[in-house]
Amino acid sequence: MTRLRFHLTFPEERVKEPIIYEISQKFGVVTNIRRADVSDRSGWVELELEGELPEIERTVVHLRNRGIHVDPIEKTILEG
Amino acid sequence: MSNPSVPPPPSSDPEGGSLYLRGLKCRECGRIYDLLPVHVCDFCFGPLEVDYKYETIRAGLSRESIERGPKSLWRYKALLPIVGEPTAGLHAGMTPLVRAERLGKVLGLKNLYIKNDTVNHPTLSFKDRVVAVAINRARELGFKTVACASTGNLANSVSAHAASIGMNCFVFIPHDLEAGKILGNLVYKPTVVSVRGNYDDVNRLCSEIGAEYPWAFVNINIRPYYAEGSKSLAFETAEQLGWKIPDQVVVPIASGSLLTKIWKGFQEFANLGIVKENPLLKVNGAQASGCSPVFQAFQAGRTQFVPVKPKTIAKSLAIGNPADGYYALDVVGRSKGQVEAATDPEIVEGMVLLAETEGIFAETAGGVTVACLKKLAQKKAIRPDDVTVAYITGNGLKTMEALTGFLPEPVGIDPTLTSFRKIVNPS
Repeated sequence: MTRLRFHLTFPEERVKEPIIYEISQKFGVVTNIRRADVSDRSGWVELELEGELPEIERTVVHLRNRGIHVDPIEKTILEG
Repeated sequence: MSNPSVPPPPSSDPEGGSLYLRGLKCRECGRIYDLLPVHVCDFCFGPLEVDYKYETIRAGLSRESIERGPKSLWRYKALLPIVGEPTAGLHAGMTPLVRAERLGKVLGLKNLYIKNDTVNHPTLSFKDRVVAVAINRARELGFKTVACASTGNLANSVSAHAASIGMNCFVFIPHDLEAGKILGNLVYKPTVVSVRGNYDDVNRLCSEIGAEYPWAFVNINIRPYYAEGSKSLAFETAEQLGWKIPDQVVVPIASGSLLTKIWKGFQEFANLGIVKENPLLKVNGAQASGCSPVFQAFQAGRTQFVPVKPKTIAKSLAIGNPADGYYALDVVGRSKGQVEAATDPEIVEGMVLLAETEGIFAETAGGVTVACLKKLAQKKAIRPDDVTVAYITGNGLKTMEALTGFLPEPVGIDPTLTSFRKIVNPS
């Protein structure tokens, strides 16, 4: 089992959708929200995902395909 | 290659009986951690920051004790997070604070200064400050390998510092990065890992590697120490101004850390009685329009910002989801400063203006700072008499390509005095 931490940013059109519930059902990953700030126009969530690594990686691809911006908990690491 | 799943044990006494360091503190929930290679609060996932024993520092630190120190950032060692004496990066910092009269005249500013980190040692950018601190702390913590993900200045500085003390070094880059970008790095002989994937993929992979390998990833697990090196820019500014805090500063924003640490540096000096507090101090941020999440949030009056895909010639500021963006906005708001943004043509104009008025050749980030300084002066957010410091963070030799097509061609003449007189005709 692997445990990874992510910072998710939700655009306005996804704010109302139960996406975290959806990924736990679809990929069997354990979701653990540690900090969040959600308004009606946007939102972010700091989320820990626990599961098999390939499932976590599929989850990340799925989230991105749904328009969620997925970064590691550190956000942008790649610096100029 | 081994793949240990646990980080290395820290050195036997990571605090080393430190007089000045209390621990790491979560910026969100305030929980305290030991001085280990950790950067995120286990409880709330907030970022960790170094916590100092200011009462002890106050007793031993004075202007005189600082002036007796080395001519480098290490003269402020009491306020930097290493325990022992520095053994690497000994010449970083103490760059010139230039009284910019000619640039000031163009902008209508009578008390303008340029903090010139284009001549920082050893790799000509402000990253030499943060990496000097990070690499010393990494050594104290027992690491043998240092790493970073970077396409430019950070990679240069980490590679050079690692080479200077024989540490192993890994640099991660996206596979489609132009070869020329990394050439200056290869000379230091790091292991450069080219990752097949986009910007986001490289970013996420580095986070995962940082969590798994026993390496000092300077802007991941060593970040709380690394970031503190930026405070030295504030300390030096105050000292070079004759122990004064300026009225206005203009700071480029990439991750946002530099801006928040310059603010923190001035606060620390004032709180410790090294300088008098200046309640007028305004901290202003400068971003490139092509990567301006903090500027956009500032303009909209929001505290949340939306990550962006960078598209700007100011590559060293191209951070789409800045780790300290929220905190940078907070500092700008508290100090009643502003955030401005500059387009690519404005950035080049800024580079040229700085070069032709002050003889300082800055990289594109410097062009951003000068262009935003100009806007702030034009709209009177900076008044003519304000003591103003603009932070120029990297050398123009690193981003020569940005100037292609923007500068006049040489004047061609025949090899005769007649031709010279006819075509050049100097008065």
